[in-house]
Amino acid sequence: MSNLFPKSVNKLPLQILIFIGLTVGVVLAGVTYYATPKYTRVGYAPQQPVPFSHALHAGQLGLDCRYCHSNVEKSGHSNVPTAQTCMNCHNQIKTDSPLLAPVRASYASGDPVPWVKIHQAPDYVYFNHSVHVARGVSCVECHGKINEMEVVHHSKPLSMSWCLECHRAPEKVLRDPKLVTNLDWKHPGGAEAQLEQGKKFVHDWNVQPPQSCSGCHR
Amino acid sequence: MKRKFDHSAPEQNEAPTGPRYWRSLDELAETPGFQEQMAREFPEGADNLNGVDRRRFFKLMAASFALGGVGLAAGCRRPESHILAYGKSVENIIPGLPLYYASAFPIRRNAIPVLAETHQGRPTKIEGNPTFAPYGGATNAYAQASVLDLYDPDRSTTSTIKGSAATAAQINDLLAAIGSEARASKGAGLVFLAESSGSPTRERLVAKLKRELPAAVWAEYDAVLDEVPVAAAKAAFARDVKPLYRFAQAKRIVSLDADFFASESGSIGYTRDFAKGRKALTKDADLNRLYAVESTFTLTGSMADHRLRLASSHLLAFAAALHGAVTGSKQLEKLTAGLQFKDQEKWLAACAADLLAHKGKSLIVAGAHLPAEVHAVVYALNVALGSVGNTVDFVAIPAPASAGIAEVAKALEAGAVKTLVILGGNPVYNAPADLEFAAALKKAGQVVRLGYHVDETSAAASSGVHIASAHYLESWGDARTADGTIVPVQPMILPLFGGVTEIEVLARVLGEAKPDGYSLVYETIAGLNALGGVDGEKGFRQFLHDGLLAGSAYKSVDVSLNAAGLSMLLASATAPSAVTKDALEVRFITDAKTDDGRFNNNGWLQECPEPITKISWDNAILVSPRLGKELGIEPGGSLIQVARKEFGTFQQGKEQAFVGEITVDGRTLRAPIHIQPGLSNYTVAIALGYGRSATGRVGTGIGANAYAIRSSNGLGYATGAKLAIVPGEFAFLANTQEHWSMEGRDIVREANLDEFRNNPGFVAGMGMEAHSPAVYGDMKPEEFAKLSREERAKITAERSASTPRGGSLMETPDYSGKNAHLDGVHQWGMSIDLNTCIGCNACVIACQAENNIPIVGKDQVLRGREMHWIRLDRYYSDGKLEGGAFGGPGNAELPEDPQVSLQPVGCMHCELAPCETVCPVNATVHDQEGLNTMAYNRCIGTRYCANNCPYKVRRFNFFDYNQRQLDSLYMGPLGKKGMPELVKMVKNPDVTVRMRGVMEKCTYCVQRIQQAKIAQKVKAGASNNVEIPDGTFNVACAQACPAEAIVFGNIKDPNSRVSQMKALEQDYQLLGYLNIRPRTTYLGKLRNPNPEMPDYAALPLSRKEYESKNHPAGMHGHGATEHSGSGHDSHGSKEEHKPHASLGKILFGGNS
Repeated sequence: MSNLFPKSVNKLPLQILIFIGLTVGVVLAGVTYYATPKYTRVGYAPQQPVPFSHALHAGQLGLDCRYCHSNVEKSGHSNVPTAQTCMNCHNQIKTDSPLLAPVRASYASGDPVPWVKIHQAPDYVYFNHSVHVARGVSCVECHGKINEMEVVHHSKPLSMSWCLECHRAPEKVLRDPKLVTNLDWKHPGGAEAQLEQGKKFVHDWNVQPPQSCSGCHR
Repeated sequence: MKRKFDHSAPEQNEAPTGPRYWRSLDELAETPGFQEQMAREFPEGADNLNGVDRRRFFKLMAASFALGGVGLAAGCRRPESHILAYGKSVENIIPGLPLYYASAFPIRRNAIPVLAETHQGRPTKIEGNPTFAPYGGATNAYAQASVLDLYDPDRSTTSTIKGSAATAAQINDLLAAIGSEARASKGAGLVFLAESSGSPTRERLVAKLKRELPAAVWAEYDAVLDEVPVAAAKAAFARDVKPLYRFAQAKRIVSLDADFFASESGSIGYTRDFAKGRKALTKDADLNRLYAVESTFTLTGSMADHRLRLASSHLLAFAAALHGAVTGSKQLEKLTAGLQFKDQEKWLAACAADLLAHKGKSLIVAGAHLPAEVHAVVYALNVALGSVGNTVDFVAIPAPASAGIAEVAKALEAGAVKTLVILGGNPVYNAPADLEFAAALKKAGQVVRLGYHVDETSAAASSGVHIASAHYLESWGDARTADGTIVPVQPMILPLFGGVTEIEVLARVLGEAKPDGYSLVYETIAGLNALGGVDGEKGFRQFLHDGLLAGSAYKSVDVSLNAAGLSMLLASATAPSAVTKDALEVRFITDAKTDDGRFNNNGWLQECPEPITKISWDNAILVSPRLGKELGIEPGGSLIQVARKEFGTFQQGKEQAFVGEITVDGRTLRAPIHIQPGLSNYTVAIALGYGRSATGRVGTGIGANAYAIRSSNGLGYATGAKLAIVPGEFAFLANTQEHWSMEGRDIVREANLDEFRNNPGFVAGMGMEAHSPAVYGDMKPEEFAKLSREERAKITAERSASTPRGGSLMETPDYSGKNAHLDGVHQWGMSIDLNTCIGCNACVIACQAENNIPIVGKDQVLRGREMHWIRLDRYYSDGKLEGGAFGGPGNAELPEDPQVSLQPVGCMHCELAPCETVCPVNATVHDQEGLNTMAYNRCIGTRYCANNCPYKVRRFNFFDYNQRQLDSLYMGPLGKKGMPELVKMVKNPDVTVRMRGVMEKCTYCVQRIQQAKIAQKVKAGASNNVEIPDGTFNVACAQACPAEAIVFGNIKDPNSRVSQMKALEQDYQLLGYLNIRPRTTYLGKLRNPNPEMPDYAALPLSRKEYESKNHPAGMHGHGATEHSGSGHDSHGSKEEHKPHASLGKILFGGNS
């Protein structure tokens, strides 16, 4: 019986395997890159209508986060300041800056400045700022070092698994609620001391971050 | 010992186990259609795509996948979105936090004080204002649903003059011109027609109108009557007074056709007070007793301990007879002619004796639709029983308007009306038919109409002026509650379409200097405050803050019977004619959904099943079983039937009703016929408020317009009517009553008060769990019931967190010790008191408003796809043993006098939830605080959970009901997508709006729980004070409940209110034997019948059925051995068998 198949066919299984491996690899890489928050969100730094610099205001000038995000301790939403808040200072300083024109226009007309949203939780997620701030989770844990950002960018993935990492081990990040807006603060005793203090807080404050669906999804 | 529960269907001629409740006559009759339905998970059609076969389905799917592929490429990165902060900071508004303002929901003369929840200036939810003590923060279904009307896309958006749009300035000029023109003639030819109102501002303006334009006519007309006619008080007491009932003080109550739970004014307060007198918190509680004499089956009647069916036209005779029995005088004897019912003498004597034994603590109430004569006799009765000042107060009220719609019609006919101003109402639709109002309207010189919709009246006056009316949530106003307390109506939002209110229209006609709503109300209230020496501005702010003007209630006055006036009124009364098959009585009832038709375009109300008939989206001619039979509605093959016939085309779950034609005084009306047990034999009832020809896309064309056969001389009821079947015509009624039947077991557990006193834990002896090993913990229900309340509360609290495994053979997961999954700070639970639940639907609508529950439309309800998270089950029981459901010969007669048991059922949040174990994607799981959560994003729509839920409380989104038009659901991607902007505004921003293909169900208002927890944690800060104090928040259903039947809270705290309720002896679990440990438990229902009454039943009828099925006398086996005391494991000592043995005697007349 003659050979029905040429010799080159012997390599076929290997070729198929390599092809499948490559395809799966490309698909996985694609999905990871295009569809996971770690890649889709982190680094997102859109241009804002007013080139507001957090590095200048919060870092250099040392404004407290809560001067502008005034309701962060009361509401689930951390409000973006009204134009009126900006004008509290800017009716004295840089009153003619062309960069601030949209703010002045907004204050005059009442129409909002269209700030571009950077951190966006999906509609079915009910994240609450006030409870995190009140219980000693610093802004920096989710937003990164805003006080060093010239242009704010998305610094953490804010994916569900990322949220849960912290909800499962809150002791790693808990600090005295008085220090939550101090973005440069690190426990002076280092990571170990932080852990020790965090455990104490978890116990003393009865911290039980929700780990079930109802905590965030309603 | 291994035990096996046999769930198989009972053989013919074998007594099945389990009580016989039936929710429909079909169930009782066991028609083949019903049997088929029982075998299905969902009603037929509920799980099928309409008219799409498999092949076509795949074609469509392929197309949509292709479309989806196109979308993918563009959707890789998320779109840019914006944060739009205010330009100028707004006082009090914190984005993300709701604000509450005190306001009032005005309806006719009486308003309901409310708190409106607003999100950044957008009202989304109505709650009762707890500052108004008589209502205690409760509301009703209308108030709850009223917020939807604000966002009605079909509301009138522009004012028009002769059909073309007019600006506000044009309208104002026109109104001012009407005023100045009228001044010249002292108002002659100017006629106002309005609905009644309690508004002090309107009262002030009307007084001014009468002063300045004495020749102008001010007339008021209400389509339905909810207040006692003043003529009765005028005759009986010779003054303008109205009664305010004090049900909390009343121990014996007789209701004559009065549905004081629903359609009478002040019903919320009355329900609340009645429930107070009905709560059984101790076994010695002195429960009130309710006698109801009525022609239709009302919610009040369903609560009655003794219910007598009597035609409304015979109630004067009944009242007179009761008067005779109570006072012993023969004064009113001639009025009793024609009165005839079963055991009449005995009934009246026993009732009268009971009332006399409770002198000063008894109360007689008559329905507002009854003629003044009845009320006058009732007043005389109340005086004779010493009720006045104790259980009923009379308060002085302003004299009612002297003119009504009849006078207006007469003036129109005479051509004497130059300008007719119609403020609200809808007279062309709901005026008495004999007035021919639409035709008369054409004779007016000019018609100015203030209307919320471009409705029938606006259409009839299309050549005139239509002014778009403002909703009460967008206007300034004031009103009075039923007891006269003045309440503010505050705007939550600027008028969406520039609407105005009736006081503004009136003020412009009168040429007021400041004709805006705020100034008008301010002036009124400042004027009233000035009388009390209160500063205007400060007093007004206090008024708005409190939501009421303290001390402004009507003053109660002393009244004494004016015999002369009374006998003059009664002199003209004649004996009622007999009601027969050929001379029927027609009752026009205020609809539980649309009221008088004003809520016709409100989808929430339209879809809410009527409390007794369970029909949604329709009205029907309700006929008694006897009349139905005489009409020949009797299909072959079934012993008992409703108004339906089983044809080849018959589809289960859809009530295919005969169409009947009613003829009254030569006017006819066609509507579907629905057989309603409990109706007076020859009274047919039809709800008003349907058959609208011009309203909006929800209400137009729904149902039949009963106003068409209602004339001035019979607004409440008419006699001498005929009803005939229209051959060959049928209609579908969207009836929810047969869906998800529980197959007649010990669902609602009932006892009479005397049994409860001997054995407050009677519920523990019922149900299969009483006969099985202890499934919950190590104690059987009867042993558990013997503990003290403190012990029970403590054990319940411990159990809630530890999930003990119990003695079940079923391998339940071991949750003890470190496996504890319920380790949250709180453990949520609910208690529902079936003894005070009146089945009013307030909870259903409150839930719908709070949780963004969509409406699905009549067609979908017909398929059993309604989405309500709470359903109110209504069971009938008649205590008969020979029914077909028992394998006996079946009822030869349709039951005419059933008892009703009502039960609200929502998700029970079972600790061992069966739904969770079958979900393939973990979309429904438990959280640490005992909630059975539903993660919509995980749900893939297998519906296994709904299949495995023993309570059938899960609801599936078969379509994207929020995004699709209800009439084009089946058009798929070809239909229009998107929610109208206006409708989006009513959604609660704290709750996810669900999409197609996901399951949903009661969440115990998880958003409110989380908000309360967050608020508490924020307050706690760096401390461990994270437990929410009891009573800090409430779930939507419990908050709305006027009977306070629903209590929600933390069951881990043995001192919380819910733990206290659950610790009551009559607390039981629904289907407890399943060992799924529901967090919602029920308190058993008690009835308090009078042993002297001829219709006394020693056991509630449902209980009688339960006992006779489970402990049948003379039958061998289980029941017999139990009663002989042979050591049945569910009963401890021999003493405990006594109640059962005596029950046997009661049931079988001592034959056992």
